[in-house]
Amino acid sequence: MAATVSSASGLLAMLNEHHPLLKLHALSNLNAFVDHFWPEISTSVPVIESLYEDEEFDQRQLAALLVSKVFYYLGELNDSLSYALGAGPLFDVSEDSDYVHTLLAKAVDEYTVLKPKESSQESEKVDPRLEAIVERLLDKCILDGKYQQAMGIAVECHRLDKIEEAIIKSDNVHTTLSYCINISHAFVNPREYRREVLQLLVKIYQKLPSPDYLSICQCLMFLDEPEGVAKILEKLLRSENKDDALLAFQIAFDLVENERQAFLLNVRDLLSDPKPRPSDVPSGQDSSTGNAAPADVDMTVEAPAAVGNVLDPSEMTYSERLTRVRGILSGETSIQLTLQFLYSHNRSDLLILKTIKQSVEMRNSVCHSATIYANAIMHAGTTVDTFLRENLDWLSRATNWAKFSATAGLGVIHRGHLQQGRSLMAPYLPQSGATSGGSPYSEGGALYALGLIHANHGEGIKQFLRDSLRSTTTEVIQHGACLGLGLAALGTADEEIYDEVKNVLYSDSAVAGEAAGISMGLLMVGSASEKASEMLAYAHDTQHEKIIRGLALGIALTVYGREEQADTLIEQMTRDQDPILRYGGMYALALAYRGTSNNKAIRQLLHFAVSDVSDDVRRTAVLALGFVLYSEPEQTPRIVSLLSESYNPHVRYGAALAVGISCAGTGLSEAISLLEPLTSDVVDFVRQGALISMAMVMVQTSEASDSRVGTFRRQLEKIILDKHEDTMSKMGAILASGILDAGGRNVTIKLLSKTKHDKVTAVVGLAVFTQFWYWYPLIYFISLAFSPTAFIGLNYDLKVPKFDFLSLAKPSLFEYPRPTTPPAATSTVKLPTAVLSTSAKAKARAKKEAEKAAIAEKMSAEETSSGAASSGKGKTVAEKEGESMQVDSASEKKPEPEPTFEILTNPARVVPAQEKYIRFLEDSRYTPVKLAQSGFVLLKDLRPSEPEVLSLTDTPSSMVSPAAGGSATAAQQSQASSMVVDEEPQPPQPFECSL
Amino acid sequence: MDAKLTEVAQLFERFKAASIRNDFDSAANLLSQLKVLLTEFKSLPPLFEESPNAIQELTIARDIYEHAVVLSVKTEDQDAFERDFFQLKPYYTDTGSRLPPSPQEYPILGLNLLRLLVQNRIAEFHTELELLSSSALENPCIKHAVELEQSFMEGAYNRVLSARRTVPHETYVYFMDLLAKTVRDEIAGCSEKAYDYLSINNARQMLMFSTDKELYEYISEDHPEWEVKNGSVFFQKVKESAPSKEIPSLQLINQTLSYARELERIV
Repeated sequence: MAATVSSASGLLAMLNEHHPLLKLHALSNLNAFVDHFWPEISTSVPVIESLYEDEEFDQRQLAALLVSKVFYYLGELNDSLSYALGAGPLFDVSEDSDYVHTLLAKAVDEYTVLKPKESSQESEKVDPRLEAIVERLLDKCILDGKYQQAMGIAVECHRLDKIEEAIIKSDNVHTTLSYCINISHAFVNPREYRREVLQLLVKIYQKLPSPDYLSICQCLMFLDEPEGVAKILEKLLRSENKDDALLAFQIAFDLVENERQAFLLNVRDLLSDPKPRPSDVPSGQDSSTGNAAPADVDMTVEAPAAVGNVLDPSEMTYSERLTRVRGILSGETSIQLTLQFLYSHNRSDLLILKTIKQSVEMRNSVCHSATIYANAIMHAGTTVDTFLRENLDWLSRATNWAKFSATAGLGVIHRGHLQQGRSLMAPYLPQSGATSGGSPYSEGGALYALGLIHANHGEGIKQFLRDSLRSTTTEVIQHGACLGLGLAALGTADEEIYDEVKNVLYSDSAVAGEAAGISMGLLMVGSASEKASEMLAYAHDTQHEKIIRGLALGIALTVYGREEQADTLIEQMTRDQDPILRYGGMYALALAYRGTSNNKAIRQLLHFAVSDVSDDVRRTAVLALGFVLYSEPEQTPRIVSLLSESYNPHVRYGAALAVGISCAGTGLSEAISLLEPLTSDVVDFVRQGALISMAMVMVQTSEASDSRVGTFRRQLEKIILDKHEDTMSKMGAILASGILDAGGRNVTIKLLSKTKHDKVTAVVGLAVFTQFWYWYPLIYFISLAFSPTAFIGLNYDLKVPKFDFLSLAKPSLFEYPRPTTPPAATSTVKLPTAVLSTSAKAKARAKKEAEKAAIAEKMSAEETSSGAASSGKGKTVAEKEGESMQVDSASEKKPEPEPTFEILTNPARVVPAQEKYIRFLEDSRYTPVKLAQSGFVLLKDLRPSEPEVLSLTDTPSSMVSPAAGGSATAAQQSQASSMVVDEEPQPPQPFECSL
Repeated sequence: MDAKLTEVAQLFERFKAASIRNDFDSAANLLSQLKVLLTEFKSLPPLFEESPNAIQELTIARDIYEHAVVLSVKTEDQDAFERDFFQLKPYYTDTGSRLPPSPQEYPILGLNLLRLLVQNRIAEFHTELELLSSSALENPCIKHAVELEQSFMEGAYNRVLSARRTVPHETYVYFMDLLAKTVRDEIAGCSEKAYDYLSINNARQMLMFSTDKELYEYISEDHPEWEVKNGSVFFQKVKESAPSKEIPSLQLINQTLSYARELERIV
């Protein structure tokens, strides 16, 4: 019975009536029916528009709303929006219709485009009506509890006031804040604006009753405000609560992870010394501080106490804590712990190196040095130089620059050995007494090695390197000294050092000048100082390509992370006549926009990748994509997939490296699929790049989680053993096997810290590493990008207590790769089967043992100390090692099901993919200060009265030298046992090969 | 019957009275008041809400609009006719299930068709026609309009003009007068295309004027671009000298070059 209207023509006709009431009636009815009759109404839009424009008509807004809806249906969103604005309050933002949703989105889009422009130039004021709509929307979001949306829009629109409102009104301020920090790093583009946002966030944080100091300090670090951080740290250190001090330590460790040397030193220096305040000691001292102080008596009381003044107890605690925080901030604590960890957990497989060594031709110096590089990378930071010691004769075949690299390799192996670094290198260092007979190559290499040892923590060694630089005129030594200085004083922007390096540059020697150019860049990383133009000017003056290249990279380094501020310089470089400078421009783009995924930068790089005339520039442009995209590794394979099929081998090479850089350490499946075909490319250097990249991607990925890792290892072996393989790809394969097992299989390549900030040293290291195309010794820079994959729990004394935690995953997923077995005198074809049968049995045994250990662990977890269990585990490991050495033909036992969890003992290897499985035991003695799955974690001791069992003690326990193992087997066994003993790495006996 | 309905009914009576005695001003006034009152009835289109008085309200509203249409014809106001007709139309199309058909329906529909014909809106004419049922087409009022249109299209203009005498309804006379003018315009348009010039005599006959004077008036009023000289009417043809298509050589060259460049760049 109910009738419906079939046409709007009647209403439209009514619009032409003279009586305003009739028009109103028509309008309001049309408005109600517009969803059905917009096609009819659209022909009458001019009539309605004229109603809207009629100043006399009192329902203009209704007319505007109607027109807006019709335009919306017609798809004319711009017109629709402008009429919706005319509709004023009639446009109801809370209405749940497609029309309103679409228009709101449009309005927000419009507003986000207009608003930032408004602040920069006074060209156009944003339509206040538009602003009103957006504000209404924001208010509604906040009212409805959709804080994240509100914040997202507010951030986009540059409305700091609204961001603040959204955060403060939200029900969980902490989560909202951390969400906001995340988006401000991921999506807020102009750097300046991001600073503003972060400043605001810090302000809000500080207003909170219980501020999250960890996050505040991260923000402050980005803002480069050491004062703020120092103030917070001091406050925490002065607190009477021990937990606050733990928090301060944790903050310090987190800051160190981002590797901003200059900033950290500033913070350290800003922390005020404890003042002797004998008078105002509060009489009612809290007993807790009283407890804390005596507990730490074994700590060495340092300088402040030596003043001799009588410090009151609270100042005592403070000074003690201060010493620790300073130690952390200077990086020494973490470096030392890392070193100990890498040494004690070293699982590198010397057999691989031995195979490489044997298969490489005697006279082929490229492969010879590649093997040395691979050894250095494999043992980076572990201080294990067994391989070199065993092969002194072989090593001595390195001459000239190869000798330089061989010596420098020691620096990589001993990376972080801050105390003994210099004495280790002493035999090779240039002697003050002029001609000491040492070759300049080994002397230069030694200086470079010192730089690598002290990379980014060069306080102690700077002076020595400067002296060495000054006292020599040999360009090889200058080369080494420049690189060493650059590394040691990375990012400090030290004017004096800069001037000294500049002098070397101006001597216009090609070899020294190249290193000087890079060194200047390293010194000035991210400073964006006008030094860059000085360098650019010299690059135009000089004739030497090497110097230009060094400078080009140096200039690129100076604009590290400056984003838009670097645009002028980038423009200048990319438009240069000289392809080498354009090539530097690509690096500048890569570094200025590192990890930002900035669309503009990507577009520019892609443009150069296909349009530049120089192959070098094209290659670098593609490679640079890897740097820009490393914060979103999933994107890279997609973006470069077309380029990887380019006809131009340089572009293919660049694509391979781009994937290698941005997906480093991720084991990303798409990345591997993209690289796989490239490893058998027709062009040798593409194969080289692909192999290296593949190793970078696969580092620490176990065969259990991706079977292609095993395939790749076999492929590497095949390439190395193949007599007819090209030298270039052979070198790639050798380096790749080094990278795959880098740092004793305990490090990965990580360009982002856990808080998603960029790690300066790592990024810079990789950028310089990619220069190895021109200069092999720069390969060592990759060691800067290595970061240990460890969970290291620390107590209040910054010692490593023994305690257990869970990894809720199958142990095989993340275990070390099995050591290769020596080929059993049979043909190589049989080798794989032999490996499989042995390991199957070994695995079955090991599993059983592990299970037993786990059960024992569980039972004894409550009352006994964890020492027994861990020694049990140690035994398991030893047994497993022993087992795998024997070749067994048949496996009788059925493999038992693998346990789904694993108990790890602090400090433990936790690879990035494993992090999500890490759990703490509920009844554990320690709880972490902040929830973290890897890295340095401060632990709260819940049972402080019980005695602590420490691992990784820093008192030397025995004088066993890891060196001088007879065969590879013996060396491995000794390592296995040394793991149980957990001793401090000894400075190896100085040995000198007759380099 | 509630108060409002009564009020409308009374007002309607006064309106009818004014309309019959041809007091157009007061009728228009009353009509306007009526329409405003009608907006308060929710049962009318487009809302069609159920209410106890729905039938009466609908009926009276329809009556009012029917009279409004007739009034607009009387006042010779085409705009008002169109307006009122469209407002009336929903009562015909959408209330069929609730109201008995109105006796005025077909005459008014026929009038509307005639109006479209007069205004030379042939497309709309046919649209309207399509909406009618086949039985409606048999109705003399509609049939008249349809036949007129056919003659019009055939070019049998004399039949169109003679049809004035057979109008089925007295209100049709007004439109039939207007139709003559439409026919004349049509002829003029055709002549323009067909001839370069026509003698005055021929032109007069062709355009069905009885005297030359009327012809001259018509020319000066409607076709000032025509020229009368030497006893003939010259139709100024808009001679569009079609510009010879030039080959966009420069553009083509540019395009080709850019293709070549892009090919170079293909990776």
